[in-house]
Amino acid sequence: MSLIEIDNLSVTFDTAGRRVRAVQEVSIKVDAKASFGLVGESGSGKSTILRAICGLAPITGGQVRIGGEVVKSPRSKAFSAQVQMVFQDPYASLHPRHTIDRTLSEPLAIHGIPDTDTRVMTALADVGLPTSFRFRYPHQLSGGQRQRVAIARALMLKPQILLLDEPTSALDASVQAEVLNLLARLRDERGLTFLMVSHDLAVIDHMCDRVLVMQHGRAVEELSREALATAQMQTDYARSLFAASADRMLGG
Amino acid sequence: MTLLSVRNLRVTFDTETGPVEAVRGVSFDLGRERLGIVGESGSGKTMTGRSMLRLIRPPGRIEADAMTFDGTDLMAATETQMRALRGPRMAMVMQDPKYSLNPVMKVGAQLMEGLHQRDRVGRTEAYAKAVAALNAVQIRDPERVMEAYPHELSGGMGQRVMIAMMLIPNPDLLIADEPTSALDVTVQAEVLSILDGLVRDRGMGLIFISHDLRLVARFCDRVLVMYKGRVVEEVAARDLLNARHPYTQGLLNCLPRIGGNRGPLPGLDRTAEWAR
Repeated sequence: MSLIEIDNLSVTFDTAGRRVRAVQEVSIKVDAKASFGLVGESGSGKSTILRAICGLAPITGGQVRIGGEVVKSPRSKAFSAQVQMVFQDPYASLHPRHTIDRTLSEPLAIHGIPDTDTRVMTALADVGLPTSFRFRYPHQLSGGQRQRVAIARALMLKPQILLLDEPTSALDASVQAEVLNLLARLRDERGLTFLMVSHDLAVIDHMCDRVLVMQHGRAVEELSREALATAQMQTDYARSLFAASADRMLGG
Repeated sequence: MTLLSVRNLRVTFDTETGPVEAVRGVSFDLGRERLGIVGESGSGKTMTGRSMLRLIRPPGRIEADAMTFDGTDLMAATETQMRALRGPRMAMVMQDPKYSLNPVMKVGAQLMEGLHQRDRVGRTEAYAKAVAALNAVQIRDPERVMEAYPHELSGGMGQRVMIAMMLIPNPDLLIADEPTSALDVTVQAEVLSILDGLVRDRGMGLIFISHDLRLVARFCDRVLVMYKGRVVEEVAARDLLNARHPYTQGLLNCLPRIGGNRGPLPGLDRTAEWAR
């Protein structure tokens, strides 16, 4: 049994006058401690899958199972202790009027976990931030530092699964490298399972064992890391995505 | 032929804690070619681009030993002369369509505004020109886009509208500030090929500002690498892999590669002599 099982997931939004089928019958299986990537252009439904798992988008068809159990709506506390999400834009995902301390201690308060003080300090140290940052506000931090706070927040409840929605696309190349290294280290230390969305194939390839290429809400092709590295994709769309990847220029 | 020549450009902002130099002595020449300026956030690449058009507001100050565009001394030009240059001769595509288009004005009206004001062309002709410009940047449904407000467009469409707007007066020099950073790789390739075609067909000079070294290398003829307001290296794009400066190498190596070894990515060493 896989840790994350998504069977024929569909997400449909009813907006004024028309139905938007954001995700259509996508199935994914991710084993414990594995990393799975979703790639595709904007509007391909890759982020919507992550949001549907967390309950931020409605599941209108199919099933999502975590550890064999179908997720309940609304999501339970046990669910959030197991699955957490890191969002794309660190400028928008942290509360601007809450200190880092408050952002990090909120999940602990909700779940009634004691030792807030030590846990917040450890969390900051784990993501490589000095403890002097504890009482700062998000606007006093750089983009990379904010994303570290967002990762720290997601890890406060010691989840097994992290859903990563373009965690580095708002960051500079050198800062992206630092954040990717941090994620890889935390994954190894804590045995985390990643489901990661990115439009950058090179980032996905660096972090994930398998990748699903999506277009217009549908799964196009699932590739192993080896197939990606040796350009053995079957569909034209996956190939064009591969060819457009800026990385190719320096392939030689 | 040199289109633009810049010597020892400095941009200074006076702040409460003393003057901050955003650009510290940048010099380069540009012909009818594609020049890339690369650097991290805060390296002064956008400020360099804006200085060419003298688009830096007080308390910012621009100083340079010389800055000439096609025979005109940009440092000595009056504001009226600058206005005549901006648009028809040199244009800039700003970074984010969300903030650079007027949110309460239809795209069509924004595209035609310059034609009415500057070129005094009539309504029908302006409309035709605007539609032609949208076609040139491969917007499939230009009539619909003309009637749309900026929030009704996707990031890629907005970006293309801004490029179209800058291309209507047919400038000799286009400064594109991160024109593709908000776009998907497939759309990015499309926008780049549009720009590429314009440089080739119209003989336009292009300054392409980006933080993506690989993209710039693939697209430009020459690359300036900036760090903390200085040009640390100038290199022909095809020789980028053999770049000598540790900062350029660091920027290249910190990017993950398809089929790479997945070890920790090397970070940038900012302790060396050049980083001061």
